[in-house]
Amino acid sequence: MTGEIELREVEVKLQEEVIIPRVSLKLEGPGLVTVIGPNGSGKTTLLRTIMGLIKPVHGWVLVNGEDVTGNPEAAGKHIGYVPQLSAFNKGFPITARELVESSLSLRLKPLRLRTPSEIREAAIRALGAVGALDYADKPISSLSGGQLQRVLIARALVWDPPILLLDEPVSAIDPAGKMEMVELIAKLSREKLVLVASHDPGIYARDSKLIVVVNRGIRLAGPPSEVLDPRKLAEVYGDSVMLVEKCVHLVDGHAA
Amino acid sequence: MLLDPRWFIVVGAAALAYGSLSPVVAARRLQFLAASLPHGALLATVLGIPLSSATGLPPSLCALTVGIPLTYMVIILVRRGVPEETATSVFVSFTASASIAVIYLVLTRYPSETSLWSYIIGDPLLVTWRDTAYAAAVSAVVVAMTLPFMREHVLLGLDRDSARLTGLRASLYDYMAYTALALAAIGLIRVVGFVLEHVLILLPAAVAINFSKSGAETVYNSVASAVAAGTAGVLLAVVLGQNPSAMVGFLLLAFYLTGLVRGGTG
Repeated sequence: MTGEIELREVEVKLQEEVIIPRVSLKLEGPGLVTVIGPNGSGKTTLLRTIMGLIKPVHGWVLVNGEDVTGNPEAAGKHIGYVPQLSAFNKGFPITARELVESSLSLRLKPLRLRTPSEIREAAIRALGAVGALDYADKPISSLSGGQLQRVLIARALVWDPPILLLDEPVSAIDPAGKMEMVELIAKLSREKLVLVASHDPGIYARDSKLIVVVNRGIRLAGPPSEVLDPRKLAEVYGDSVMLVEKCVHLVDGHAA
Repeated sequence: MLLDPRWFIVVGAAALAYGSLSPVVAARRLQFLAASLPHGALLATVLGIPLSSATGLPPSLCALTVGIPLTYMVIILVRRGVPEETATSVFVSFTASASIAVIYLVLTRYPSETSLWSYIIGDPLLVTWRDTAYAAAVSAVVVAMTLPFMREHVLLGLDRDSARLTGLRASLYDYMAYTALALAAIGLIRVVGFVLEHVLILLPAAVAINFSKSGAETVYNSVASAVAAGTAGVLLAVVLGQNPSAMVGFLLLAFYLTGLVRGGTG
């Protein structure tokens, strides 16, 4: 299974403010879908709604045909998640391998499907697949942003989910590391449905099959060649759209 | 020099409980709440005296019955959208003010029934076998609520959303962590004293982080440093004629400073 996400008339309010007005959207894998929009536009809220971490005030979220609305446990059977680095607490000295092993064993706990040595082997395989074996036994607090991001991707991949959600995966990584990370994400999207939230509209454009533009709702959705048209984006974002050296940039702020 | 085994049992039990709790507090970034809990424990403990007098139940049971739900006040406020720091500040403001009011009441109405000083500074050298059994039981429950679930607490502390996606019932572990903290703070206040509880909840994990390179090592070192400081602290107190809680605190501080000098960052 390569993954399918469907939103049916989903409306999300946070503290009485409508963050996502009624939207319907269907995404099918494999392939890379990029959700773009300025900071505070609702990208993370959209991802958290898909994962059942936020319960919409109206509508349904279906993942691979299963209703996961407001139910992270159900969504977690289909989705691997990579959070923003700023949301991850690096203060506790757990190693990369311990982190991946613990997450896998927790997921398998009710079933007791694998022995500790099988879990260890699976963790090492996942770390190896993302090029993180060299620092598998280092505490996560000592890793760079790019290294930690790879470890978090390994954690999300270790049980081979059909869908991968990544929230701003290159926001805390140096420029060279960014391109490596984009290549890794593009490679993963050949077999899975990969949904990436990014405030940078251009970085995934070459590899995306679909770009979804959000700003307090889904404003545009289509292939990069259609969506990354400055005139279309300007209709949504107004003055927030800048064209620099033939590249579209969205500056932070909320258009009316 | 006569050494009573009860001293080592109560202090060892308390150290085991706090050494197990401390990594949970560090991993879940509950330091602010944990540092405020002794105020709630003091209120519950002194409130247990008039409640015991009125109901005939043991004061320790009355204290736990009042104190554990009181701690849940923070969870309820957080669930209602109050930031955790603000909820904790409200908790401290209420428990600190109320404990002074209740201490005044106890001192004026129940002067001969108990020594409040023992709750403030701790008196492990005056424990009875009954006190020893109670401290050991409290410690056993706290350890049973923390060590077997350390992986769950750590994963929730690192990244709550991902932990919930694995099927973890986050609210269950929240209540478990808060209950264990309240139980240790209230149940062991007489052994270690209100003043040192702050140190014992926070410092073992801070010591361990400075000496550890993995999660498993951190948990082991936290328990080991607390137990080592506890037992050595009792010996030092007997030799120097000092308060054991003070000695335990100084030893933990010495461990922590040693870790810092070795290049730790905890």
